[in-house]
Amino acid sequence: MTEHEPQTSLLDAQGVSKKFGAVVALRDASLTIQKGQIVALMGANGAGKSTFVKVLTGALRPDTGHVRIKGEERRVGSPAEARRSGLLPVYQEPSLIPDLSVADNLRLADTPVDDFRHWVAELGIEGLRLDDMIGALPLATLRILDLARALAAKPDVLLLDEMTAALPTDLVDKVLRTVRAQADKGQSVIYISHRFAEIAQICDRATVLRDGETVGDLPIAPGVEEQVVELMLGTVLDKAPTRDAATGHGGKGEAHVRVRHLAAGSKLEDVSLDLHRGEVLGVVALEGQGQDELFEALAGMIKPTAGQIAIDDVPVSFSHPADAIAAGLTYVPGDRADGLLMSRSVHENIALPQLARISKWGAIRMKAEADKVAAAIDRLQIDTRAMGEVQRLSGGNQQKVTIGRWIAAGVDTLLLFDPTRGIDVRTKRQIYLLVRELAAQGASVLYYTSELAEVPAACDRAVVIFNGKVVDVIEAADADEPTLMRAAYGLTRAEGEPA
Amino acid sequence: MSRLITKHGWTAGLLSILVLLFILTRMIQPEFGASGLDSLSRATLPFAFATAAMAVVVIAGGIDLSVASMMAVAGVTAAVLMDGAGDGMTVVAVIVVLLIGLAMGAINGALIVLTRVPDIVVTLAMLYVWEGVALLILNAPGGAATPWLRQLIVGPFLVPWLPKSFVFLVVCVALIWVPLKRSKLGLSIYAIGSDELAAYRSGVAVGRTRIAAYAVCGLFAALGGLTLTLSTGNGEPIPGPYLMASVSAVVLGGVVLGGGKGAILGPIIAVIILRLVRMDLTLMSVDPNVTTIVEGTIMVVVVMFGGVIAYRGRQK
Amino acid sequence: MKRYMTSAAAAAILATGFAGAAFSGGHASYTIGISNTVQGNGWREEMVCAMKAQALVSGDVASLNIAHRNTDAAGQLEDIRNLIQAGVDAIVLNPSNSEGVNSAIEEAIAAGIVVVAVDQAVTAEGAYILSNNQEEYAYLGAKWLFEELGGEGSVVYMRGAAGAGADNDRDTGFQRALAEFPDIDVVHEVFTGWQQDQGKQQILDYLSTGLPVDGVWTSGIDNVIVDAFIESDVPLVPIVGADNAGFVGQLATVEGFTGAAVTNPGSIGGAGVTLALQILGGDVPESNTVLVDPSIWANNDPEGMALIEAAQNPNLDPEWPVSVMIPGWTTYSMDEIIACKGPGE
Repeated sequence: MTEHEPQTSLLDAQGVSKKFGAVVALRDASLTIQKGQIVALMGANGAGKSTFVKVLTGALRPDTGHVRIKGEERRVGSPAEARRSGLLPVYQEPSLIPDLSVADNLRLADTPVDDFRHWVAELGIEGLRLDDMIGALPLATLRILDLARALAAKPDVLLLDEMTAALPTDLVDKVLRTVRAQADKGQSVIYISHRFAEIAQICDRATVLRDGETVGDLPIAPGVEEQVVELMLGTVLDKAPTRDAATGHGGKGEAHVRVRHLAAGSKLEDVSLDLHRGEVLGVVALEGQGQDELFEALAGMIKPTAGQIAIDDVPVSFSHPADAIAAGLTYVPGDRADGLLMSRSVHENIALPQLARISKWGAIRMKAEADKVAAAIDRLQIDTRAMGEVQRLSGGNQQKVTIGRWIAAGVDTLLLFDPTRGIDVRTKRQIYLLVRELAAQGASVLYYTSELAEVPAACDRAVVIFNGKVVDVIEAADADEPTLMRAAYGLTRAEGEPA
Repeated sequence: MSRLITKHGWTAGLLSILVLLFILTRMIQPEFGASGLDSLSRATLPFAFATAAMAVVVIAGGIDLSVASMMAVAGVTAAVLMDGAGDGMTVVAVIVVLLIGLAMGAINGALIVLTRVPDIVVTLAMLYVWEGVALLILNAPGGAATPWLRQLIVGPFLVPWLPKSFVFLVVCVALIWVPLKRSKLGLSIYAIGSDELAAYRSGVAVGRTRIAAYAVCGLFAALGGLTLTLSTGNGEPIPGPYLMASVSAVVLGGVVLGGGKGAILGPIIAVIILRLVRMDLTLMSVDPNVTTIVEGTIMVVVVMFGGVIAYRGRQK
Repeated sequence: MKRYMTSAAAAAILATGFAGAAFSGGHASYTIGISNTVQGNGWREEMVCAMKAQALVSGDVASLNIAHRNTDAAGQLEDIRNLIQAGVDAIVLNPSNSEGVNSAIEEAIAAGIVVVAVDQAVTAEGAYILSNNQEEYAYLGAKWLFEELGGEGSVVYMRGAAGAGADNDRDTGFQRALAEFPDIDVVHEVFTGWQQDQGKQQILDYLSTGLPVDGVWTSGIDNVIVDAFIESDVPLVPIVGADNAGFVGQLATVEGFTGAAVTNPGSIGGAGVTLALQILGGDVPESNTVLVDPSIWANNDPEGMALIEAAQNPNLDPEWPVSVMIPGWTTYSMDEIIACKGPGE
């Protein structure tokens, strides 16, 4: 790491705030960067990172505060203007047009071809032809091409968002070295990553966001990881809400769903886990660590590239979501609109999974089914005035409906993907209770949550996934936020409990 | 070389279908020759321009259901302006009609961009608007086309088997398409059809590009309407059957519904194929209701096939 | 030079004039091409069936080559040119409009093909025309209606398809009648598109407004208008329609309904085939154009009622004109036109 003499900041963002309706996304965010510096921008889920990036790139106008690049006020404009104004982002999803050739993509963004070729070679991509179609190239190559295109445009500040995700190790190494070398030549970089190892390797400073506010700006030094984690967590006021330990399931005995060395998509590399009957197994991961692919593979929406799934020791393979449903795996996506008939009543939505079975079994016992539905609705504690149309319910109550219907219908294995995102605290607690009730009925629940505090409240155990691999398995009793956070960032636990 | 074949495989396939159909036509009607080619080429003209118009917006990731109505507006405008017009006025009329085409297309595009209402809804509404405009201009078939302009698409060019109308088509399409395809606007049209977010992040002005794509669509539709007036000698305010025909030719021509893929050569070969199929059905004296079924089946199969390809593409 | 006559008179003159050759028949040698640009409309279907039946019974036609679809003038140009390529001896067409298909007709004539336009006229040199007089059609019906109303009142004017040549001609006739009755008020003018369902909806919408209506003139979408009055429980007013089977039935049977049918024979298609065969046989008429004038059958007039009674035929599709034959011009039987089979079918 190099020291830099103090000088006027190349990029200077101060006191940035942004509200969306009643939701405060940014309170007081700031970031400064000098010439030739690499600054890590860090924050837990929901800290306001992506909103801040949008303000920095000129896609959003801040309510208060300012962003100056080389002393000039940042204006909101088209991406073309934004590109010219000096801050160039490289996103996780490559911004290359799939149906155009490499050369046409360069022309589209007015990129000098010779410089681009230079960077492609520097970053270790061989055999690339300019008339290759983007859509035919592997994702890792595309990310490198996107970076090469950005470097060739010689921006004042380069913003790299999870640049090394989905890259093989040799390319990660090339990218890190190239970026650092460029910084030493005067290139400034904002580096967003969940990987402390990379941050320690190339960054000069880390700026930490929490609840829309910049809470720290630290030079990178040995042991800084712990400080960053503490800053991201803030003061953990009360202990996580506890629940009746008697209902807990320790994850003993024969596994109901057994997953071994599962790999899928570009991010899920090697995940093994056991899910027992009556157990709620949490999945903890930072964004984009492969959890989406894990759930989609279990739901039959994508095909695994390696590994096995077994149900009660019988290996299964799904080529369609219907196969997974037939095997008893029910997926509840994070987007509630996907699973509900928004313009129909709560009653109909609760009854839907049972109605779907009529065709299979012919006659149903109408009275018994109707009683079940009524009982389930009773337990949801939903304001009856809004029962006529699901779309009139709040997001939290909608989520209660998606989960509550399985209490009425009965479910074998439920795959819940971030069910409480954007839901108020009181409703969240009701959802935990519904999930526990399902488990008490004997269902197995796989529960991904982006909020670490939920793990001890709803789960029996949690697997932690980092970089597409399981890095830890933590019992509910030990699952306090700092422990989970460290594990999620791939930092080893002091005790080193076996996974 | 093999890259070239895979890239243009679809077009090459269409060309071989076309050659086979020509051979079949010769077998059905041994006297099929220069005059047959001329008939075929003249029948192809309005369909070809409608298809070119549709192809541009489909490549841009949209669709324009008002193509046939815009052709009607252009056709009646041309017929009214050319009625009794001299040489100078005729040239002015052609320019005015083409400008009106650009303007109609740009209005369609601007409405889609500004209102954010789906293109299929906006252009369905505009289908009726342009139809009404055409009826306001001419409430029954009428007007006239300048005779020397009509001669532009009649008879052979240099050699007996090369119809002037075909040369007219090739020249008009090439004059618009080749510079467009090479320009940054052309790239941007492909880009917004292929991946709008990536295009936006690559610095493409998505809204402006979409409006431009619809404007080019309007320009081609105006040429289509102009050729209608040239071939019939007057203007017809009721739109012809060019909407469905253009959609199926576009899909058969290798342009993927949903955008980003394809070009204009394939769809134009597809138009000729579809016209030749009709000619062969007439030559074979097939029952007219069966003819309708055959043409409908081709369209449905082609559009379904195109839908499957688009779906597969998205799955990847 | 043009001659004007009623359909019956035209038939009589033409039958005595140059009927001979076609009816002697027996050498099934000619191929006749047919081009029509409206599909799925009762009148046009009857026209095509009349062409088929007449070609069959003439005995002179080896095969018919029929281009029958929904298209515009440019599409008809394509069809005519394809028929030229197919090498037909004659083409009988119902032109999309009077000038738009001239270029292909001229090419056909240059190729030695006999061209007969039926129903509507074309202006191409050398083509033969057997045309219903559309202007007179509208004038006759409108004049009867306005007289029936005593020269004053509110009239709903239900036209055909906007922008169609025949609709435009009929409008000319309607306006001519209207000019003669200054106290008639056209309170509502709509285009039915010659679609039954559309026309019915339009009159139902109007009736539900409760606005006054003393009479309705229709461009052939007629029986559903009577139905709409009955269904809406609105007292029937005088209605003018065409000689479609359904409407003619209503004229005879609906209690308290006064109306008139104006003839517009779809069987003119059969007459077109007869004329084409005559010309092919060397019997060329002295004039290129025969305009067939319509007649009017009112059910409050004994003579009209007699014609209405005589025309009742339960076997006919309600959308088909009842004048399925033109004496002297068509020689098929009722069963043969209903069977709708051409040579070789």
